[in-house]
Amino acid sequence: MLALKAKDLEVSARIDGDIVPAIRALSFDLAPGKILGLVGESGAGKSMVGRTIAQLLPPGFAVTAGSLLFEGEDLVQMASARRRALLGRAIAFIPQAPMTAFNPVMSIGAQFDEHLARFGEADGKARRARAVAMLEAARLPRAADLLRQYPHQLSGGMCQRVLIAMAFASNPRLVIADEPTTALDVTLHPPILRLIADMQREHRTAVIFITHDLRLAAQFCDDVTVMYAGRAVESGAARAVLSAPAHPYTRCLQLANPTMRAKRRALYVIPDQMPSLRQLKVMRGCHFAPRCPLVVEECRRAEPVSTALGAGRSAACFQAAVSERIDAREPAPVMAHASTPPVLQVEGLQKTYTMGGTLFGGVHSVTAVQKASFSIAENEFVAMVGESGSGKSTIAKMLVGLEQPSAGRIVLNGEDLTGRSLRGGMRRAAAVQMVFQDPQSALNPRRRVASIVTQAMEAGSRHASRDERLVRTRELLAEVGLPADFAGRLPSQLSGGQRQRVNVARALCNIPKVLVADEIVSGLDVSIQAQLLNLLARLRAELGFAMLLISHDLSVVRHLCSRVLVMYRGEIVEAGDVETVFANPQHPHTRALLGSVPPDEPEASWSALASAAPPGITP
Amino acid sequence: MMATLSRALRSPRLIIALGMVFCIAFCAIFAGWIAPHDPGEQNLLSILTPPAWADGGDPNFPLGTDSLGRCVLSRLIYGARTAMLVALFASLGAMIIGTILAHISGYFGGAVDWVIGRLVDVWMSFPPVILSLILMVGLGVGLDRVILAIVLVDWTRFCRVLRSEVLIVRRHDYVAAARLLGFTHWQTITREVLPATLPLLITLVSLEMAIAVVVEAILSFVGLGVGADQPAWGQMIADARQYVYQSPSNLLLPIFAIFLTVTAFNLLGDGLRRTLDVRLAVTGR
Repeated sequence: MLALKAKDLEVSARIDGDIVPAIRALSFDLAPGKILGLVGESGAGKSMVGRTIAQLLPPGFAVTAGSLLFEGEDLVQMASARRRALLGRAIAFIPQAPMTAFNPVMSIGAQFDEHLARFGEADGKARRARAVAMLEAARLPRAADLLRQYPHQLSGGMCQRVLIAMAFASNPRLVIADEPTTALDVTLHPPILRLIADMQREHRTAVIFITHDLRLAAQFCDDVTVMYAGRAVESGAARAVLSAPAHPYTRCLQLANPTMRAKRRALYVIPDQMPSLRQLKVMRGCHFAPRCPLVVEECRRAEPVSTALGAGRSAACFQAAVSERIDAREPAPVMAHASTPPVLQVEGLQKTYTMGGTLFGGVHSVTAVQKASFSIAENEFVAMVGESGSGKSTIAKMLVGLEQPSAGRIVLNGEDLTGRSLRGGMRRAAAVQMVFQDPQSALNPRRRVASIVTQAMEAGSRHASRDERLVRTRELLAEVGLPADFAGRLPSQLSGGQRQRVNVARALCNIPKVLVADEIVSGLDVSIQAQLLNLLARLRAELGFAMLLISHDLSVVRHLCSRVLVMYRGEIVEAGDVETVFANPQHPHTRALLGSVPPDEPEASWSALASAAPPGITP
Repeated sequence: MMATLSRALRSPRLIIALGMVFCIAFCAIFAGWIAPHDPGEQNLLSILTPPAWADGGDPNFPLGTDSLGRCVLSRLIYGARTAMLVALFASLGAMIIGTILAHISGYFGGAVDWVIGRLVDVWMSFPPVILSLILMVGLGVGLDRVILAIVLVDWTRFCRVLRSEVLIVRRHDYVAAARLLGFTHWQTITREVLPATLPLLITLVSLEMAIAVVVEAILSFVGLGVGADQPAWGQMIADARQYVYQSPSNLLLPIFAIFLTVTAFNLLGDGLRRTLDVRLAVTGR
């Protein structure tokens, strides 16, 4: 019997009095012991599937057609008492944000115990033994001590291990893992995935694996279903689908992703963005048609039904036979090399934070950055990689002047910036700018776009006239590829990608020499990320600035930068040419970072996932 | 802005509150035209007359007279002027001191924050009514002294609440971005932080007005408020206290006036909070 079978599932939302389907005609089969990947960008409806299974739909949403059979029983029609008996026991969940999934005031042991007691283990001793056994199976050392600890005492990776142990403790027949590694550092991805895979094999559990990462899905899943705007556009065996995608959307997504090994090329840009529910309401024909490069008249008239392509594969597209035609034709952008004189030089930069220092407590200090030295040449893009807490952001803050270094020098165009003088600050403001990570927080919600991008023109004693600012606004919006009529919009009226463009435009207002970009694409979807990466490459050629790109995504680094600095525990442990470092990493941490990226080719095997971890070692 | 305005106009709470405040303010501003008599004019021939509709009432004095034969209605209307003046200037004064210190404290943090925070702690550990009474004894009576006393007592309320709001706003990247674009600290505070704390500020001013009305009534009641020549509701209550059995209306009417004014300001504050606060506006009521 199938573990889970969706048949023409439709979930609808009530919007302004109309019923709009958020998920349409979704069908899939999931056999016991198999992993089904739901792949797509945000807004595709993949998390909605998990929520439908748990019947935790947001207000206004409801299942309007079809069935969702768990071992032959329909989860939609089922009495809620019966569903409650299944959820958490036969059907378990692994959440996306492990740190917030625990109750912070209860110990791990108490929460594990409560979970085990829910499915009928009456004996307290037996529950404790089971908890310890499960934590040990999750390769957590000193499991007995761990039960006495509280969630804040655990790292994110450990929290996720505990949650995986809890999910599998009830021998579930179905586990839903919603982006279980997205919130964790890249080096933690392989061990966590390996743990899920081992547990799943051992318990013969069926898993629904929700992810936005095509390469990861190819490695981790048996089957995949690619979703777009609430619809399954393509499904089949994972490696087959991702090595030869039939639907233009899957193909475009792959081409929009920067690669790790193949020759560097311009990223394919899918124009625009995924339609919102409000837009879906009035849409006719194939929902991908407005963004599709292969669109024909037929696509705008009727919506293609899902048709079998043989060997368990199907795609919903009229043009499935010719989708290989899509290709990124533009040549790769030319890379600047470090032959030009350095525009920014950093020598022995150090940052120490002193903690405590109250009347009675002793002072102790934490070194966030240790003796960092590097330089950036004119028009050069340098990347800085490393796990969270390795001091990347601290260096960025010191470069732009938000933090004062404890020691060392920052030299810009031969001038020392380390002093606290106001004139130095003004000069720095003109020459070094920062693009912030979270555009939501980086844009003042009360200013309009025009006022945000030309904000630099009202700084200090500058009093630019309205007309001057309007002219500059128009130039900047054109540079970052936004229509001129966006000038009057508020940040809340923009999408995530558009906000990030405004964010870039603001930093460019004074034509800076150096741009510091802190994880500027990490929150964005693949197609939006490609738009922004291509924009940065174009702006570099046009405006000639240098950039320090802080990122955890090595393929983005490889795509955009010529040199890379690897940070580990506050130190730059490796630096050099991107290609050289990636081909022949010297430091163990660089190797760990590189090993945590799934290979480009779906057929290749990913060594990080295959090798069994030595017992008792947790990263 | 337009969205806020239209939201405000749809809130019945806010409309009722604005109506009440407008009526009281109208009485206060045009007291000279509305009041039938001079508030200090004594008619010793007709003292403690009941309201006009009761037995023995005099249509000349619609709400009766007090123990010195002064027109109660006129005194109520002129009392509104005193109350509104105190409410307006005391709350604005407290707002200005509290807001400046709160923004300095929350924005700069560190030692400055510590010093201001401790100052507020010490200040708030005095019982507010006792502190204002002591201040009035020191300062002497008078409208301006009452306002000064309330400002000196209540600025801490603004400082403490606004500081925590400044701390939240300060953490947004756009505040750091403004600094990077070359904004001075002063520019950053006035153009980036203050607009974000303004909704809370307006709400607090409205609530502070209600408090100022009550404090002014208390001070006038014990004779340490505005001078004896100026009518005030607290004074009227004090005067009517001795004759409460002969003419209870003289006691009840100023109490009712205070009650109406305080309710109006509290409703206004609550309504403003609901319409101006973005977080509440998004999630509905």
